[in-house]
Amino acid sequence: MVFILGVNFPERNLLKKSLETFFGVGNNTSSRLLARFNIHPTCRVGELANKQVLDLTAVLSDMKIENDLRREVLNDIKRLKETGTYRGRRHALGLPVRGQRTRTQIKTPVRLNRMERRL
Amino acid sequence: MASAWCWSCLSRLRPTPRAILPPPAVTPRITSAPFHSTAVQYANPTKKKSSLVATKYRQGQVLKRKKKAKTERARPPAVGERKALRKRIVLSNPNALEVEGMKDLSPETMVDSRLRGSVVGLPVPMLERLRAVQAFKPKQGWSIFRRPGTVLRRDTIEMGRLFEKISGDGDAPEKGKVIKKIITGMKGSGKTVHLLQAMTMGFLKNWVVITVPDARDLVSGDTAYSPVEGSKPTQYVQPNAVSALLTRTVEANRQVLSTLKVSQKHPGLSGLKPTSTLEDLAKLGFQDAAIAWTVFQALWTELNATAAAPGMENNFEARPPMLVAVDGLAHWMTETAYRDADFKPVHAHDLIFVQHFLSLLKSGQSLKNGGMLLYATSTSNNPSNYSLEVGLNQLAARQAGIAPTSEEYPQPEAYSNPNARVLDLFKPATGKESALELQTLGGLARDETRGFLEYFAHSGLLRESVNEEWVGEKWTLSGGGIIGELEKLGRHVRTAAQPVAQPVAAAN
Repeated sequence: MVFILGVNFPERNLLKKSLETFFGVGNNTSSRLLARFNIHPTCRVGELANKQVLDLTAVLSDMKIENDLRREVLNDIKRLKETGTYRGRRHALGLPVRGQRTRTQIKTPVRLNRMERRL
Repeated sequence: MASAWCWSCLSRLRPTPRAILPPPAVTPRITSAPFHSTAVQYANPTKKKSSLVATKYRQGQVLKRKKKAKTERARPPAVGERKALRKRIVLSNPNALEVEGMKDLSPETMVDSRLRGSVVGLPVPMLERLRAVQAFKPKQGWSIFRRPGTVLRRDTIEMGRLFEKISGDGDAPEKGKVIKKIITGMKGSGKTVHLLQAMTMGFLKNWVVITVPDARDLVSGDTAYSPVEGSKPTQYVQPNAVSALLTRTVEANRQVLSTLKVSQKHPGLSGLKPTSTLEDLAKLGFQDAAIAWTVFQALWTELNATAAAPGMENNFEARPPMLVAVDGLAHWMTETAYRDADFKPVHAHDLIFVQHFLSLLKSGQSLKNGGMLLYATSTSNNPSNYSLEVGLNQLAARQAGIAPTSEEYPQPEAYSNPNARVLDLFKPATGKESALELQTLGGLARDETRGFLEYFAHSGLLRESVNEEWVGEKWTLSGGGIIGELEKLGRHVRTAAQPVAQPVAAAN
């Protein structure tokens, strides 16, 4: 088990996939992170040297990911609501925000758009 | 036992319970026809199936679904098990007939032109070493014959002669020469097996054989890489791949390497003694991948040494020639799956391992003690690569006698943007360098085809009379003797309706 940013990852897991478990780290970010530290794309977590783990953790802790990012997104939506914009209202009503039709197929906004947006 | 009398009221208790009688049959027995001969039917009358479960008043009906019984899933295969199965190489089939009179590949048979067209067996002691250098590939048809064997075709015998000349058995002027070849050819034309034959010959002649069984492994991004400090443009070293190369080299060449002693000083390697053999030297590298590249460089200087460093002369023995075989060259001419720190793709020529082997093609006397460089392209696993295509065309043109200044000399098309470094590899040699050659493997000749198909018949795989007409037909069907296609024909043609006595006819 290897600690990266306070999370324990099994050694067998792919490093790239493990990084992508963080909220805010996707394919692009994780690929770039690997390239930055000269780690090959199919590297397993267990193959990392100690220094590489520390480097990765250092970079990840500087990035806006996980709760910081969630908070930012929520604040953005809150701002929309408070300024009384149409988008803010749609968020609060649980309806699509970007002009989609509402006759059918709005399950996702119904599920996610609440007073406190689910992430 | 309790008494049957109640002692308080002196009354008789209930007697022992009566024997349990079978419940009266519910079935209406057929009593009206006592003389009927059919047996009385005891079966209960069938109830009508009610499709709906009786529900109470104002109770909704509930759809009841049967839960699926959980089936025990088989455990997933262990780590590496599936890959091991995929990469498994079977070299023998006990059901196949042994071919009588089949000769082994040996220093004598490999140059014997009388044996052209016959299948010679790979020497059994050599098989382990060939496995170690990964000369066999999983999809080749070794598993259908009793023992592995290859056809001695014209190209093989020519190669055998080269081996003999470079080894200097007959004091030939070519002794210690370096032959550089790029082997191309159609799909199934036997490029990889040609390399296999070369490796076997190398082992037979006690050469040092160094191989890269799949060039793709180095560029597919599956092995660790790290930048070389201070290199500009940045080069990358792949410690694990180098370590694997050293392992292969030691396992296959132990006999040669263990007799040669270290003859130079290697300040980077502390664990080395002046009396160490080259095997000890190489072992340092696969014990510690971090120094693998340093070890490989040291091993390379040792193998190319023509004289000992001052003060270390007493252990020096002449180094044998070397065979370097690489399969799947095209992968080394493109960008790799690796990325540099700025997320730009790394070109294969920036990998120091790849660069080392490619530079052998360019520089003059790249192997100081002579030897052969055989770099084969692949057609089954081949990235399309325009630069390489142009380079190979230019090479072919030069070989055909077209001068580079001529108009007919193939040039890259305008705006096609070929890679300059790739084209550089195929530039004409200057000075006393031994020129790079292009060897295109074609189909077998008809007599060689006959020998090959007879081998199938002798092994019991082919029940056909192998005659001139039939061989001609198969030769044509296989696109002019392409050996991979011939093998398919040989193993698929089975005529069950024919009499069994046919294999004998194949012998004539």
